[in-house]
Amino acid sequence: MVPRESRPLRMGAELLGTSGSTESPEQRRALDQLFSVTYEELRRLASAVKRGDPSVTLSPTALVNEAWLKLSKSPGFTTASRLHFKRIAARAMRQLLIEAARRRNANKRGGGADVTVAFDDSFDEKPASGRELIALDAALEQLAQMNPRQAMMVESRFFGGLDVSETAELLEVSEATVLRDWRAAKAWLAHELRRDR
Amino acid sequence: MDSNRWDRIQSVFHGAADLPKSQQRAFLVSACANDESLIADIQALLDEDAKDSSLLNRNMADIASEVLDDPDSHRFPFKDFGPYRIVRVLGEGGMGVVFLAERRDLHSQVAIKILRDAWVSPARRERFSSEQRTLAQLNHPSIARLYDADTLPDGTPLFVMEYVEGCSIVEYCKKLNCSIDDRLKLFRLICEAVEYAHSQAVIHRDLKPSNILVRSDGTVRLLDFGIAKQLEDVNVAADVTRTSFRFLTPAYASPEQIGGDRVGIQSDVYSLGVILYELLCDRLPFDFSNQTPAEAQAAILENEPVRPSLIGQRTVTEKPANSLGGAGSITKAAWTDLDVLCLGAMHKDPQRRYRSVEALIRDIDHYLRGEPLEARPDSVLYRMHKFIGRNRRTVAATAFVGALMVGLVIFYTLRLAKARNAALAEAARTQRVEQFMQDLFQGDAESTGPADDLRVVTVLERGEKQARALDEDPEIQADLYQTLGTMYDQLGKYDQADSLLKASLAQRKATRGADSAKVAESLVALANLRNDQAQLEEAEALARQALQMSKRHLPPDNPVVARATLTLGRILDNRGKYDETIPTLEEAMRLESGPKGVPADLSATLSELANTHYYLGHYDISKDLNERALRMDEQIYGDRNPNVAQDLTNLADIQYQWSNYAEAERLQRTAVGIMQAWYGKDHPETADDMTILGKYLIAEGRAEEAIPILRESLAALEKHYGKVHPRVALAVGELGLALQHQGNLDEAEADFSRQAEIYRSVYGEKNQQLGAAIANLAGLYADRKDYARSEQLYRDALKLYADSLPAGHLNIAIARVKLGGVLFRDKRYSDAEAESRAGYELLLKQSTPPARWVQTARNDLLSEYDAMDQSEKAAKIRSELGGTSAVSNPAKN
Repeated sequence: MVPRESRPLRMGAELLGTSGSTESPEQRRALDQLFSVTYEELRRLASAVKRGDPSVTLSPTALVNEAWLKLSKSPGFTTASRLHFKRIAARAMRQLLIEAARRRNANKRGGGADVTVAFDDSFDEKPASGRELIALDAALEQLAQMNPRQAMMVESRFFGGLDVSETAELLEVSEATVLRDWRAAKAWLAHELRRDR
Repeated sequence: MDSNRWDRIQSVFHGAADLPKSQQRAFLVSACANDESLIADIQALLDEDAKDSSLLNRNMADIASEVLDDPDSHRFPFKDFGPYRIVRVLGEGGMGVVFLAERRDLHSQVAIKILRDAWVSPARRERFSSEQRTLAQLNHPSIARLYDADTLPDGTPLFVMEYVEGCSIVEYCKKLNCSIDDRLKLFRLICEAVEYAHSQAVIHRDLKPSNILVRSDGTVRLLDFGIAKQLEDVNVAADVTRTSFRFLTPAYASPEQIGGDRVGIQSDVYSLGVILYELLCDRLPFDFSNQTPAEAQAAILENEPVRPSLIGQRTVTEKPANSLGGAGSITKAAWTDLDVLCLGAMHKDPQRRYRSVEALIRDIDHYLRGEPLEARPDSVLYRMHKFIGRNRRTVAATAFVGALMVGLVIFYTLRLAKARNAALAEAARTQRVEQFMQDLFQGDAESTGPADDLRVVTVLERGEKQARALDEDPEIQADLYQTLGTMYDQLGKYDQADSLLKASLAQRKATRGADSAKVAESLVALANLRNDQAQLEEAEALARQALQMSKRHLPPDNPVVARATLTLGRILDNRGKYDETIPTLEEAMRLESGPKGVPADLSATLSELANTHYYLGHYDISKDLNERALRMDEQIYGDRNPNVAQDLTNLADIQYQWSNYAEAERLQRTAVGIMQAWYGKDHPETADDMTILGKYLIAEGRAEEAIPILRESLAALEKHYGKVHPRVALAVGELGLALQHQGNLDEAEADFSRQAEIYRSVYGEKNQQLGAAIANLAGLYADRKDYARSEQLYRDALKLYADSLPAGHLNIAIARVKLGGVLFRDKRYSDAEAESRAGYELLLKQSTPPARWVQTARNDLLSEYDAMDQSEKAAKIRSELGGTSAVSNPAKN
């Protein structure tokens, strides 16, 4: 069989603050690295959870901060502000988790590959968070149609761990607005996810 | 849903959300005018809001752990793959998982490494295949071999390699209770493998015992080139190097890896040093248990390990049952050598480690054969450096660190004794000096309180007393006199410095002969002192003598030669002999850039050369050199150090010359802040920088703010240097200018006259500083409308400039422009035009013409042509105004 083409995750150049629509090779490399670092950090978080290791800070905030420390000197990111970087990292987190969830689901269903026998037969039933994540992604797309600012807010807060004041600064609105928007968006998304079940 | 409806829903939702549940329905009905579908939508949101239990409330880490493959189950998706049958998981590396597999046709065991989640990014796939290529390239009996590379049906890349059954080198030695010599021999085998990889341009970057297995037959295998790097990639991909940090095992990672700096073969040398440490001491140099990653990183960057000899010897005495095999039979001298081997590989500064693994191997062989080592034990020196680094505020002297370093470097260079006996004698001496210095800086707890309260001068005074008591050992005494004398010099205590340096010189003449390397070293220190005392003629003579003497007795790459060259350059610069200064300093730079060069000296030379170019008006060159020095100094000393302040001051001055006054003020305020924190407010070094800040404030038209600052700095300088000193003159001149700006002309004149007098008595009649003072006076007389006197003074100043500055220097240009202005105001239009025109043309010839003066010159010329009714020439000037870009300030571009 033909190996499934490894599809690099993509993000728009606008995230890097470039005016044009094309990414420079440096920026592409920077994004590529962002995905690697974010992935590795996510995996670290995940295995800390598995080990029940309390010393690891289990938050996207810490993860994004780590990623920033590692990448802030990359040529592609030097022009991005820390806040801007967090937004890019939030998008990367979202894409990574969604893609991981999709692949996991595909594996479970057989994924179209002419499957060989799994070495570990207990290809388990996990909590439904994978499916929920995929549903969240779709709902966020819808929300972006209804109100792009709210979608970006959810992405930044949930996936990137931005706090209220950072979100307010990023979106150039008051903190009160962030809290209101967040509450409504959360209720709506929860409703959508429930419907999807 | 369209956005209008969504807006509507939200607005009603917010109105209802905080109402008691019982009132919500009524509110919705009235707010939605009975639109039931709208009400239902909003009610659904209100229900969710009340439940508040969506995915969005969950912990991201939990979600990640569910979505990503279970990291601990190490599932291999295929039981059988090609000729291989998967047996079990061997371990998890940074990116992949390694499985033990059996080759069914050959019944042999192999290790298969697969890349997990290859889809994440091309960078991961690239790194994986780079490991594969690296392994393919390496063919050495002590490096695990690559057999095959392939992809799984789902596209996951993998490679097959030699399976090594054995235990880690550390476990092996413990289990067999190997002797020190046996441990070294095993260690040497690893060194050979690493050296081989280096010869193939591969840096391992993750050497640690778990990657080094010893098989039952006693052969070793080096594993896991997962983050190995091709040498030539290292420079271009610094960021890649950084990102791979998380894969490192901090215990074995070098400071430059931790710090995210460039990584070279020296990093492997460091890791080998740590492994050797562990082999010698049965423990790691740093204890990271109970430490956060940040603390561990800080320890690697800042702490010095306890010397192996201390642990090894203690192990023998305290718990003989667990001691290293044979450790008891090792002599003290041999332990000293083991210290050198180990700490020489583990130096924080990559440049000071063993230059190569081969050099380390050579010294291992020397040790095993009982010969003297080639490395010099400079860990003591480094410890001193670190001590000072940690106690910067207490140990308050600019080049203190530098001076001490140089002193001790020279000291230890001499330790390169050829015969073992001589080396041992020297070692005894080293230990003594080390002990002495440590006692000195640890302070006497009872009498002086904690070391933090220790004033440097107190320390030095105590040191001096103790040094004088060391009569029976004149060599040590002379070394200490020299070090202490240099410190006093740096502190501005010239009398004490003079007596100690002379004493050192006399001692060394007596013990080493009047013409010797040691005497040359003393002469350099003395020349620097004379330079600081502004006794320039004697300083130059001493420096020249020192340089010749050091060249006679030392190889050209010895730091003493470079330092003598730098000293001479510095003095020539102070004497205004710029033609000779530049080649001299460039020579010093060349010497210091060599492998044995001392980085602190190189940065000092860069600054000095920058100053020379500055005086010659080559501001762009000067700016570049200063920026290089700034970067070096921030690395060497940290960013709150006076050396850094000095670089900032120099850069500020260049901005000032380019008329970027706000930028100059900003840089200078940073510098003053550093100086105040380091030295305190009254210190002359701080005062100098405040004087300069005052100057920039005046330029910004803020004389009011400048005057109190300048008075404060002047008082501090007079207290320290006395009334007649160039530094006092500088402050006096600036105060005069501030007063002049305020219209207080009488006081200003007194200050300018005093300034001129000081320069005259220090530098003689022909120098540019005197010219500047006289030009100040000239400006003052212009303010008084005494144009004749003003003209005369400007012409005097120009004459001095002509004698002391290169033709066409910026100061000459400005003075002529100013003179033109005075003549214009005296209504001598054609004379005025001649000066303005000459000044203007000189300005335009500057590599970076200062915009402000160009503008002044043009305006003057325009006025002059207008006054003389020469409208054509005026028009020509006006037309040139259009092309201002040619003279705009490059610093702003």
